[in-house]
Amino acid sequence: MATSPQIVSGEYKFGFHDEVEYLEQTKRGLTRETVEEISRIKDEPKWMLDFRLRAYEHFLSRPMPTWGGDLLQIDLDKIVYYRKPSEGEEKSWDDVPEKIKKTFERLGIPEAERKFLSGVGAQYDSEVVYHSVREELSKIGVVFMGTDQGLKEYPELFRKYFATVVPPEDNKFAALNSAVWSGGSFVYVPKGVEVPLPLQAYFRINAENTGQFERTLIIVDEGAKVHYIEGCTAPIYTTDALHAAVVEVIALPGSKVRYTTIQNWSNDVYNLVTKRAHAHAHSTVEWIDANTGSRLTMKYPSIYLRGEGATAEVISVAVAGKGQHQDTGAKAIHLAPNTRSRIISKSISKDGGRTTYRGQLKVVPGATGVVASVRCDALLLDEGSRSDTYPYIDIQEDDTTMTHEATVGKISQDQVFYLMSRGLTENEATNLVVQGFLEVFTKELPMEYAIEFNRLVKLEMEGSLG
Amino acid sequence: MTAAEGARTTKVAGVARTTGAAATSSTAASRQGPLDLTLSFVDEDTVRSTAGAASDPDWLLADRLAGLRAFEALPIETNQLYTTYVDLRNARLAETRPRLGPSGPAAKIATAAKLLPEGAAGYAEIGDDRVTALVLAPEARDAGVVLDTLAGLGARDPEWLRRLLEGGCTLPENDKLAQLNRALWTNGLVLHVPDGVRLERPVVLRWSIGSPGSAVLSRSVISVGEDAEVSVVEEQVASAGSIGADPSGPQSFFAGTTEVRLGPGSTLSFAGLQDFAISQVAFQHRSAVLERGASIRWALAHLGARIIRSRIDNTLEGDGSSVEQAEIVFGSSDQLFDLTSYTRHLGRDTTGNLLSKAALADRSRAYMKGLATIDKPAHGTDSFLGEFAMLLSKQARSVAIPSLEIDQPDCRRVAHASSVGPIDETQLFYLESRGIDPDDARKFIVLGYLEPVVARVPLQGAQDRLRELLEAKWDARTGARPASVAVA
Repeated sequence: MATSPQIVSGEYKFGFHDEVEYLEQTKRGLTRETVEEISRIKDEPKWMLDFRLRAYEHFLSRPMPTWGGDLLQIDLDKIVYYRKPSEGEEKSWDDVPEKIKKTFERLGIPEAERKFLSGVGAQYDSEVVYHSVREELSKIGVVFMGTDQGLKEYPELFRKYFATVVPPEDNKFAALNSAVWSGGSFVYVPKGVEVPLPLQAYFRINAENTGQFERTLIIVDEGAKVHYIEGCTAPIYTTDALHAAVVEVIALPGSKVRYTTIQNWSNDVYNLVTKRAHAHAHSTVEWIDANTGSRLTMKYPSIYLRGEGATAEVISVAVAGKGQHQDTGAKAIHLAPNTRSRIISKSISKDGGRTTYRGQLKVVPGATGVVASVRCDALLLDEGSRSDTYPYIDIQEDDTTMTHEATVGKISQDQVFYLMSRGLTENEATNLVVQGFLEVFTKELPMEYAIEFNRLVKLEMEGSLG
Repeated sequence: MTAAEGARTTKVAGVARTTGAAATSSTAASRQGPLDLTLSFVDEDTVRSTAGAASDPDWLLADRLAGLRAFEALPIETNQLYTTYVDLRNARLAETRPRLGPSGPAAKIATAAKLLPEGAAGYAEIGDDRVTALVLAPEARDAGVVLDTLAGLGARDPEWLRRLLEGGCTLPENDKLAQLNRALWTNGLVLHVPDGVRLERPVVLRWSIGSPGSAVLSRSVISVGEDAEVSVVEEQVASAGSIGADPSGPQSFFAGTTEVRLGPGSTLSFAGLQDFAISQVAFQHRSAVLERGASIRWALAHLGARIIRSRIDNTLEGDGSSVEQAEIVFGSSDQLFDLTSYTRHLGRDTTGNLLSKAALADRSRAYMKGLATIDKPAHGTDSFLGEFAMLLSKQARSVAIPSLEIDQPDCRRVAHASSVGPIDETQLFYLESRGIDPDDARKFIVLGYLEPVVARVPLQGAQDRLRELLEAKWDARTGARPASVAVA
């Protein structure tokens, strides 16, 4: 399908980047000294240094995964593993350095903050530079701060849960993150507290060849409720960038957690993320996950259903355009009786892009009364694009009800024709059909995000039409 | 037959319960990784002596050696999607050895017409060491149908044999176990149906193998000419010596490949019934290459053996070619069924309809791994892949991996589906409300669930036998009847 000249296909729409003076950064490449230096700069307790070094050793001994996407282009020696853009945490917006502020203004954060946000954890490169928690959240005891700050201010709570969901030995990139992590959000919601507004964190990668290794830890105590939103945009680079994050969620009994991601890294970023939640008795964990950016994303949000009556839901969307590979999916591991999971995956491949659904559904012996469903739908918009589906369904308990369905197809010409007969152009009609295809995802988003996401999809789609 | 089968499976199920304990206390059962294959006879000497005993021509020896090198180089599972679901820990094959049957006049193959099963157009029988019978009905022989051993074909038409086998032909290059057969096959059959010949009655191939310590490696070829049509019933049963074998005793090993080529517009219906003894470990490869408008129907039932590792490759090369594949598993004791199927759509307007169903009792396990690949030229593909399991006990386990790789968006339909669950309580309730005893009701539901394959078996006698086997296996499975019913 030819691309019309007036539409710039594949160019990153938010791809600006500012020159920032970095105050402190490590040398390129990863050595034991780099790891020690990061820990020293951060003035961390001994146990964290030991943890980093253990992870570093594991990272070295672990081979590069050969499945999924092509990881051979990542040059780990070229990456700066830590840089610190400004001194410490900023309490108020006025203290944020001007250049960084300007970047956020382009993203529309300050306006959004007063209207919608209950707190902003804005990550500029490897450090949380601006962070505010609204007064009423502090009053009800909600902790929402940078992960480094969390380690300092809540050492016991932090140590009790940190790396209990994703140990460094889980996979090579979790080990890498564990060795060099910096930034991310630390959230604690006390017993019975319902956070009335979504907590939001904006992440950005800036500067060429910067690795971004944020680490997020969310602990939701019994009966509490929270919605965390993460959205990513990044400036465009000439060489490859790596984003290897770890997100750990602990949903204690009776709690409810929703974690929403809109991933829109520029098309040169390798996005290799481990996201996992432990769902205890009668808790609910929901991953709402969209991936439109990056060169390669390998991300499979997981939920370990550890307590009786826990519920898991994953709704994920992937859009892969030219040169992109979205290798995404979901995992639901049923470890306790009467747990439920629902996985819905929607993917769109266009302009030679590739989407892969890779999922796991597991029911262990003794987890009786499990009800699980997996649904994957893929749209292939043109010749040369590709869609793969690899679901793993491992059931070891007879008292299980599991259904899985998957379809792959192209856009229904009947629907496009019908809409065109009502006066829409082909582009508009196709857009509408795609938006309908993704609606199961979009309707789960807060309104302003839904609008932004639809706009994003429309921009992505325009590149392929013409 | 029914009584004998019933007695056998009862004993098997009874003994199987003790194997876990036996394995841990036995010194012979050393720690073995799930991917370890403990064959001791696979080496160049064995390949050379096998070729020597069969008086192979030079090209064939070279081909065997190429197979051996591939075997040595390849891992047991090359597909990373599936490696974590390979488990050969219960295969204790170090003691097994291929047996070379008598040669010369002693190796006489029976050809008496009375051996032909009722309703069949051809019959072949294979034992632990050699092919023992080959019979063709007059109408098949007159039409030019060939049913022979590979050795027999080689004696008659060496160039034809070479065309059929050389270069590993349609055996998957990346499969260690298929390459094992290429290196070390000792017996094998060829069935050829000439252009335009339509056989109404099926050809029956009966394998009767499994003597303790035996290793049987075979390679077979079925070629169906343009617009020809044939159906094949393959029965694989335990030889007299292995019925009632002790599951913790010596095992026997079977590796078999069947390569099918289908000419333009031809049709093959292939029904396979496998009911080996519990001491059997069996690796099977079946591959089919389809030309324009050809179609193949697989109906495969897996009942026996301790470990079954089966792989099917369907290559839909010709425009409008189609495959319909139905596989059923009925597992009990600690049987392991590891089933893989690859379907590759290359031509235009091809159709793939693949269905796997497993009913799993006791501690049995089934891995159902399927991959449908739709290549760029394959416009207008219709592909469906379904993998379903019914778990009949707490310890049973089912793994389903129905995968798709799609490079061509212009498809009629691409979908897959999978479900796992226990027996449907509403169906049970319905049958019980009609006055049917609960265990009978369960039996009807399970047998009905597996019926799609049974109904596809083209020969009435074989179809009846499969039903009997399924029923006997149901009755014999461990802990089948609640005590109260058993007393009554």
